[in-house]
Amino acid sequence: MEFFEANKDILLFTGIAGAKILAFLGAVMGFTALMTLAERKVSSLMQDRIGPNRASVFGFSFNGLFHPIADAIKMIMKEDFVPGRAQKLLFTLAPFFALVPVLALFAVIPFGDYVMIYGYQVELQIADLPLGLFFILALSGLAIYGVFLGGWASKSNFALLGAMRGAAQMVSYEVVLGLTLVGLMMIYGTASLQDMVRAQGSLLLGFIPAWGIIYQPFAFILFMTAAIAENKRTPFDLVEGESEIIGYFMEYSSMRFAAFMFAEFIEIVLISMLAATLFFGGWQVPYLYDTGFLFPGGPALPMNHYLVAALQAGAFTAKTVFFCWFLLIVRWTLPRFRFDQLMGLCWKALLPLALLNILITGAVLTILAR
Amino acid sequence: MISVKKVNNKPLNLLERIYLREIARGIAVTTRHFFTNLLNPKGMPTIRYPEQTRPLPGNANLRTRHRLKMRSDGSPKCVACFMCQTACPAYCIHIEAAEYTENTVEKYPAVFDIDLSRCVMCGMCVEACPEDAIAMDTREIPGGALTREEMIMTKESLLRNLPDGSAHAQSGNARSGYDLTTPSEEEPSRKGAANRLANEYLKSRGEE
Repeated sequence: MEFFEANKDILLFTGIAGAKILAFLGAVMGFTALMTLAERKVSSLMQDRIGPNRASVFGFSFNGLFHPIADAIKMIMKEDFVPGRAQKLLFTLAPFFALVPVLALFAVIPFGDYVMIYGYQVELQIADLPLGLFFILALSGLAIYGVFLGGWASKSNFALLGAMRGAAQMVSYEVVLGLTLVGLMMIYGTASLQDMVRAQGSLLLGFIPAWGIIYQPFAFILFMTAAIAENKRTPFDLVEGESEIIGYFMEYSSMRFAAFMFAEFIEIVLISMLAATLFFGGWQVPYLYDTGFLFPGGPALPMNHYLVAALQAGAFTAKTVFFCWFLLIVRWTLPRFRFDQLMGLCWKALLPLALLNILITGAVLTILAR
Repeated sequence: MISVKKVNNKPLNLLERIYLREIARGIAVTTRHFFTNLLNPKGMPTIRYPEQTRPLPGNANLRTRHRLKMRSDGSPKCVACFMCQTACPAYCIHIEAAEYTENTVEKYPAVFDIDLSRCVMCGMCVEACPEDAIAMDTREIPGGALTREEMIMTKESLLRNLPDGSAHAQSGNARSGYDLTTPSEEEPSRKGAANRLANEYLKSRGEE
């Protein structure tokens, strides 16, 4: 008992952090599993098809809801094959390098403001890093290792070629991804994501929510382009090219392959969350404050604290789901770029535009500060 | 002389080269399809195939699921000559012949299996049959099955006459099924020379 009393703060912190990690990552993983189904269902609906609807439990298929489970079982049952000449250690490590950085990134995403539980203020974010944005850029840069180690350790020429394409693409677009976010950092004056979201709660001219998209609409387009390229999905899926080109995970099978695939889907969720957090106000609901709604012009609607917190978390979820859907739509609409077009787009178009965006943002901020 | 077709591709204007408006237009198309189909799934042209079927188009001459024609007494027209089995390029027909006890003229198939999992629906068996005993005019499209055994059609499932000579043209639903218990009027046969000869032979022997 004395031990608990003496270490109360640490234990409390650990407990709360653990609970948040379990809850948030559990939600993200569950949602990602559904994303694998949503990808197939969304694409099928777009193409006037029905989509997967066969997997059933006791004859109930719920229009294909069990397909993620069926896929997982199938992946686990498959042979875990390692090519004879592969470097075993790196070959084993590569899927982890793909998966772990992506999962770690969720630590800095704020999924709500805070809740008061038994008098304790619980922040709805796993870790509020002051340099959260840099943390995101640093770790997403680490994801290149997954691609490149996977291709290199397979000791297969095709896989290596895929990995080289992947490395070139990801390194290039990493630059643009970082530079598009500089404008936001300049405007909000912080690199902490929670602070950024709080700053987006204010109003412009008394009635426009001060979301990032209002300040930086141009950066949003650049960000989405670079993020889809980072994610290695169509129209920038030259890394794997699931229909024709052979990708870096060519020699992978079973759950090792599933780890790469799953990392890609988690990245969709992550990009959606980042887009919502940075450009669409994160958990902010327009005109909703700590005490309830306060509409411009006077009318107010006071609300319970827990209701407010739930609304905010719900708003964040809704925004995330919307962007996930949007990314799926984009993926199934656009044709693939050629590799020279891909590189040209990055270095000749997006990079100068991102720099121009920073320049203009800086100039406007300087003028306004006068 | 090589024929050359000159394609006049317009150079893209600036708005098209920026690509964003074109992306928006493309996304508008796919989104419209998405929501139309989400709100009205019945309107989609796709059907849940093995459970749902749709009428085959018109009077098209389709090679559909096989059947063995029956005589008016319900015995198979097939005389187990093995012509179809020999002609079959997919080796999907398995016949075991047997003899009638009361009739020494002709044989009959004791076993007549068609393995649909091998069949390529080429119609060679129909072409080869000298008795016009096998036909592919049921207008049923063989569906899938979960085991190999389910894909094998036995003599019992093959033996059937169409409700009447022309009914198959209108029979819309491929799964409506035919009355297997009561064989209808014997169908007029284009060939069937051996059948006719056999009948005449038996008749003449009975008169002696």
